[in-house]
Amino acid sequence: MARVQVELPSLLAAATGGQRSLEIEADTLEEALRVLVTQHPRLKGHVFDERGELRQHVLCFLNETNTRWIEDHGRAVKDGDRIVLLQAVSGG
Amino acid sequence: MKVSVLVGTVKGGFLFRSDENRKKWTVEGPLFKGWKVTAATRASDGKYVAATANFVYGLAIHRSPDLVEWTQVPCSPELPEGQDFKLNEVWTMTAADNRVYAGVDEAAMFESEDQGEHWSFAPGLTNHPSRDKWFPGFGGLCAHSLLVDPKNHDRLWCGISAVGVFRSEDRGESWSCKNEGIPMIIEDQEHKDIGFCVHAIAQDPDDPQLMYRQDHKGMFRSKNGGDLWEKNEEGLPSGFGFPLAQDHTTKALFAVPLQSDEYRMPIDGALKVYRSQDGGDSWQGMSKGLPQEHAYMGVLRKAMAVDHLDPCGVFIGTTAGTVHYSADGGDTWGDLPGVFPRILTVQAFVED
Repeated sequence: MARVQVELPSLLAAATGGQRSLEIEADTLEEALRVLVTQHPRLKGHVFDERGELRQHVLCFLNETNTRWIEDHGRAVKDGDRIVLLQAVSGG
Repeated sequence: MKVSVLVGTVKGGFLFRSDENRKKWTVEGPLFKGWKVTAATRASDGKYVAATANFVYGLAIHRSPDLVEWTQVPCSPELPEGQDFKLNEVWTMTAADNRVYAGVDEAAMFESEDQGEHWSFAPGLTNHPSRDKWFPGFGGLCAHSLLVDPKNHDRLWCGISAVGVFRSEDRGESWSCKNEGIPMIIEDQEHKDIGFCVHAIAQDPDDPQLMYRQDHKGMFRSKNGGDLWEKNEEGLPSGFGFPLAQDHTTKALFAVPLQSDEYRMPIDGALKVYRSQDGGDSWQGMSKGLPQEHAYMGVLRKAMAVDHLDPCGVFIGTTAGTVHYSADGGDTWGDLPGVFPRILTVQAFVED
């Protein structure tokens, strides 16, 4: 399994006991996100909506790529990959 | 004896603390920085429970032994699959026995059987046959008020904005509408028992049949648990307002009338809290120490609290971010230190 680094915004630190940088093990992007909310279940409702999709204003990047642009979430991840969660709010 | 006042704003919570004299206050915070603090209560185990919400990340419930150190609970409210409405934020929480109930937006109820640690959806309210005709008012479609009969914990009341008051006799399994005597705001073609805009409800702790209701259409009282409501506005400059609270010691009622639903501002720019010392038969305005010139802020429905000491403390948080309080049952008022973001909720807690 690949060891993937996950970076969280400060607003979600309360859901992970204060951690903003986590390491998880997974083979694919889909599995990595599933493992993230399994190991840190308080994150689930903040990241995913009722349908199990990313909340509308949550941005998720795998390295430099917005995961919404990745058609195959079964794609393999590798050691050192980074998943970064951000808020996608712009404007006033 | 310690008095703590938790002020929930759109950008975090702030905690005021004092002794029973309530003259010198400390302020701490922001707690939950960046999160709306939308509701709080004390569970029967003595721990505090608070609800937070964020436009991006949804909601969460937290517990604390002291109102300062908070831990997000393992299982916050979450809608089961198949619901055709959204869960936006918690508007109110109330505790009885080991249970904590939460009213949420969009209007629904959740319950916890372990003092707020784990939550589950309570479908009884949204199973009401009128549910598909509920629609949001200016404040959203929110279940903003939940009361538990202090003498019969199976009996609950729920207030839903732009829908009305519901009562359950079976701890939330089933509900019936309780709005007789209240003017309707919008009539539904099929369901004639909804379309009422309750803003706040209060209940006499010793006589749970005696209830009070700040409604969009005025101030009302019921002597039979909500079966029939009668208008009680003598002395009020306007029947329109949002918060309503009752001191459990003297039974005094407190309200903050505003100028009509069109304007929703203190009348003539003078912020006044009105008090009734005769169960709503008459109301008197109190202004000594409150801003009386160019004061056009509002006080939201959950932003007033009493501490039930004798004389009782009364605390109001405004949409302008100021907190005003009385330590003498409303006779005179002062300001708590600081100016905060828009204040959503104010809760007062007393500890020995």
